[in-house]
Amino acid sequence: GQEFQFGFCHVQGVKLQVLRKAFGTLRDTVQAQDNTTSVRLLRKEILQNISDAESCYFIRALLKFYLKAVFRNYYRQASELRLRRALSTLTNNFLALASALQPREEDKVFSLAESARRRFLQVQGAFQQLDVEAALIKAIGEVDILLTWMEKYYQ
Amino acid sequence: DGVAVLPAPQNLSVHSTNMKHILTWSPVVVPGQTIYYSVQYQGEYESLYLSHMWIPSHWDSPIAKPECDVTDDITATVWYNFRVSATLGSQTSAWSILEHPFNRNSTVLTPPKTEVTKDGSHMVIELEDLGPHLEFNVVYWRSEPDAEERSKLIKNGGISVHLQTMEPGAKYCAKAQTLVKAIERRSAFSRVECVEVEGEALPL
Repeated sequence: GQEFQFGFCHVQGVKLQVLRKAFGTLRDTVQAQDNTTSVRLLRKEILQNISDAESCYFIRALLKFYLKAVFRNYYRQASELRLRRALSTLTNNFLALASALQPREEDKVFSLAESARRRFLQVQGAFQQLDVEAALIKAIGEVDILLTWMEKYYQ
Repeated sequence: DGVAVLPAPQNLSVHSTNMKHILTWSPVVVPGQTIYYSVQYQGEYESLYLSHMWIPSHWDSPIAKPECDVTDDITATVWYNFRVSATLGSQTSAWSILEHPFNRNSTVLTPPKTEVTKDGSHMVIELEDLGPHLEFNVVYWRSEPDAEERSKLIKNGGISVHLQTMEPGAKYCAKAQTLVKAIERRSAFSRVECVEVEGEALPL
């Protein structure tokens, strides 16, 4: 038990409870800063009807986006020590997860990758529509939506 | 303003057993004085994307001993860097950085201490408590030719767990190993321990 299975991508060693606890430390602070409550990046229609096989492509794209475009820019704002430690736990576990999510060559299906990419581009597009700071706060605030979606693939 | 005249601590290294990680270093010695140390860490993410970013260890600084329990700092199975500086009054040394980053998947896993006992006709095992990361795989069997081995996953140490009900006149044995899912590894098995229930063996 305690492993992720995104279609044919299997990952052990990253505990969902650790991610939830780390985000729990950040949640109140970051969601209080979110002034664009009418906007949502991880919209329900994007996250629903993702086939198991497509899920690995989609989560890889999302994790890479969070690691490269979101988390690194939020460290400046997480000046409080307990927030910075929680952010470090979150980012390093996301990094461990992203590193382990490598679909095998023989499993690569272009249509699935393409479908996942289109879904991801909707998220990225909505992110880029917002002002930089607001987009950062929104994306970090929606980590719990991401974790709830990831929970479906956690055994 | 503290000038860095104090020598930086040397020989940093991490000693890790059963997912408890201790950072140690050679002490900075100034006769007649107490030297205090500060410890900071950065995970692989910080070193990749924010290399200037260091985070103070959970272990409250300043520390007077040349060691620090960094278990609570290491919360992912990735590489971690550590650095230590020494302070004496207003003097602060330069930072000294761990030569090779540490990954918790290199922790040494030891077989758990076990105690197999009988409670009436019940076979019971107690395992030492090794902290939140470690679970235990217990294998147990009735000591007879072609015995069937059974196993049980035990989530926490420090409690007695019922393994099976025993028949009079028979001997029952068990051994255990530690499991760490976070790093996908397990220890060697402990030595085998057996208990026997007095009395006549039941007729077949």
